[in-house]
Amino acid sequence: MSKQMKKIATGLLAGIMTLTLAACGSDNSGKGNAAATDSGGGNSGGGSGSGKKVTIELAISKSSQDSAFVAQDVLDEFEQKTNIKINLQLLPAEQTATVLQTKLAVDEVPDLIQYNLASATTDLNLERNFEILDNEPWVGRLLNKDVLSAYDHVYSFHYSQDTGMQGVVYNKDISKDLGLEIPKNYEEFLAVCEKIKASGITPVFMPFKDNWAANIWPAAAFADWAAKNEPSLFEDINAGRKKWSDVPEFATFLDQQYEVYKKGYTNTDILSDSYDMAVGKFLNKETAMMFMGDWLIVNVAEKDPNVHLGLFAIPSSEDANLGASPLGGQLFIPKKAKHMAEAKQFLEFLASKEVAQKMVDSQGSVSNFSDVTTPKLPDYKQEIVDQYITPKKTTLTTDAYMIVDRSELYRLLQDEFAGGLDAKGVLKAWDEKFSQLMKDKGVEGF
Amino acid sequence: MNVSKKLYSYYLIWPALLIYSIFFVLPALIGLFYSFTDWRLDREAIKFIGWDNFERIFTDRTLLLAMKNTAIFAIVTVLGKNLLGIALAVGLNMKLKSKNLLRAVFYSPSILSVLVISIVFTPMLRSDGTINRIFEAVGLPSLSQAWLTNPALVIWTVAFVSIWQHTGFQMAIYLAGLQSISKEYYEAATIDGAGSWRSFRSITIPLLLPAININLMLTLIGGLKVFSEVFVLTGGGPGNASQVVGTIILRSFGEGSWGLGTAVNTLLFAAVTVIAIPLLIFMRRKEVSE
Repeated sequence: MSKQMKKIATGLLAGIMTLTLAACGSDNSGKGNAAATDSGGGNSGGGSGSGKKVTIELAISKSSQDSAFVAQDVLDEFEQKTNIKINLQLLPAEQTATVLQTKLAVDEVPDLIQYNLASATTDLNLERNFEILDNEPWVGRLLNKDVLSAYDHVYSFHYSQDTGMQGVVYNKDISKDLGLEIPKNYEEFLAVCEKIKASGITPVFMPFKDNWAANIWPAAAFADWAAKNEPSLFEDINAGRKKWSDVPEFATFLDQQYEVYKKGYTNTDILSDSYDMAVGKFLNKETAMMFMGDWLIVNVAEKDPNVHLGLFAIPSSEDANLGASPLGGQLFIPKKAKHMAEAKQFLEFLASKEVAQKMVDSQGSVSNFSDVTTPKLPDYKQEIVDQYITPKKTTLTTDAYMIVDRSELYRLLQDEFAGGLDAKGVLKAWDEKFSQLMKDKGVEGF
Repeated sequence: MNVSKKLYSYYLIWPALLIYSIFFVLPALIGLFYSFTDWRLDREAIKFIGWDNFERIFTDRTLLLAMKNTAIFAIVTVLGKNLLGIALAVGLNMKLKSKNLLRAVFYSPSILSVLVISIVFTPMLRSDGTINRIFEAVGLPSLSQAWLTNPALVIWTVAFVSIWQHTGFQMAIYLAGLQSISKEYYEAATIDGAGSWRSFRSITIPLLLPAININLMLTLIGGLKVFSEVFVLTGGGPGNASQVVGTIILRSFGEGSWGLGTAVNTLLFAAVTVIAIPLLIFMRRKEVSE
């Protein structure tokens, strides 16, 4: 090869490599720089008055893209008023946690994230990565700070307070036809199951192929028991002073759920059936009840408003409270957001009386702002408000107190139904895993 | 020939070598480094922790179960895919009118996405699924099982599904190997009075060894690295009953234990290397040339 040929070949190779590497990096750098370029760079405050257009990034799971926060008319109105554009980063639903973890780890953070509070504490290291919002102007108008708080601080934003109610979803029509009352304790619940079974309908649908579904009963039952009998229990567990297996009632609650299955009150193939079958089961009146959240009622109503479903508390003990989990997807601002001021301005806009009222009206939600009126609610939701929220008969589910990944607990619960572990075995195995995860987090006492 | 001309051919591998180094060797080395650290989302700084991650792998019951399951899956699928692959290849190498159609039929599952396989097999393997109904219909209800939800059975079931899907691919490689064997050997053997089995044992198998080696390597490495079949069919469940090393890596990353996940990945890489390379060398020595 002549020297000239070598030079040409080397030059071509270098060119190709440069292009390849530049192409690999262009996506991130492009996105990352977009906001800075638009805004003229830095945290200038942008927004109205500055005259410069600012683009801020909002990362949201694709499965949440119909959220009221990101309705196009809301985003357009915000942009018109403030000259701040919201750019949505739609993340694949099954990879949302991983993508956000990676972004946070490498400081490639969006300005806003939609996630749920309970999971953010475990998946995204809330304290380290997210801004405390205690001093935001809208916080003083909140009716229920708890649903937006962790570690005694407000970390997230939402206009409603009624998301993520968990208990027993039931078909009111079947209940009425069979003359059933809402059970107040476990024995009454078994009696209800027996009557439904006798009518030829499957009393309870358990879709435990999705192992998280096996956690609805214990998550509410554990929390209800702790709130009424030992309020400092989860604090003690998180400090390593107590173990999950130290509470005999927890094993009892796990046994209860298992007993519902063993007594034949459920679908036969619970480990093969998944949550996505649930709506069909209710629409076809194949099942009368399910341990689930109120989102299932919404899913069923979307398909057929004539199927009347309701929700009552998991009847693990006498007159139990309804489980409340701060799910549904709140908005968070990462501490390292490039446009902190603009992100806070967006929350302030959403919290304004007019916008919050519009969102509450369109979603039929219970307002979380003192000056925003709760519209006429769907029947099921009004019942929840009347029977549980207003008389303060709700309890944050156990998930809200756990600061580690819970998926191993879900697998252990599934294993109970596969015959691999009994209730005590589940708690013992979870103690070991929990201890390891807490140790990994560097929590004192482990 | 001068030195620069001798080296000429090596220049051509530089681009590939460079790309391979940047996108494989370098990440692998970085991964090796992280496997000795406590890398987590919630760590302010990454700390070197020596062999701690590896110690944990060998003391965690789920991880040990995952290794056992991986070994079962690898052995069962290596045997199943290769024995059936050879049998199908020999059968479809004969003079059959429908051999082209049958070859296409047996090969077709291997071009399907594993997601499609999951959609097809999950309902078939339910307690009230097609397979159990067939058993009941033919008077063998005692063979009905909870194929994907019985902890004792589940990994075997997943291995069966994998064998069903991939045997056609192994068959294609064996067919190519069989067609490269000269018919003269068989004719000579027939004249010498050798029967079908003797011809198969003394001619087919030795001359098929290069294809056997390739298939053994492919199925062994694929078996040890199994992930997608388990993930889509069982997600590692019920409980942890069908966890394999691949799903454990995913679990570790999901829990935020990135250092541990990387250590498991490093261990898998080491295991595949330690098992596959000596086996490859051993099998190569057994090969004969025509």
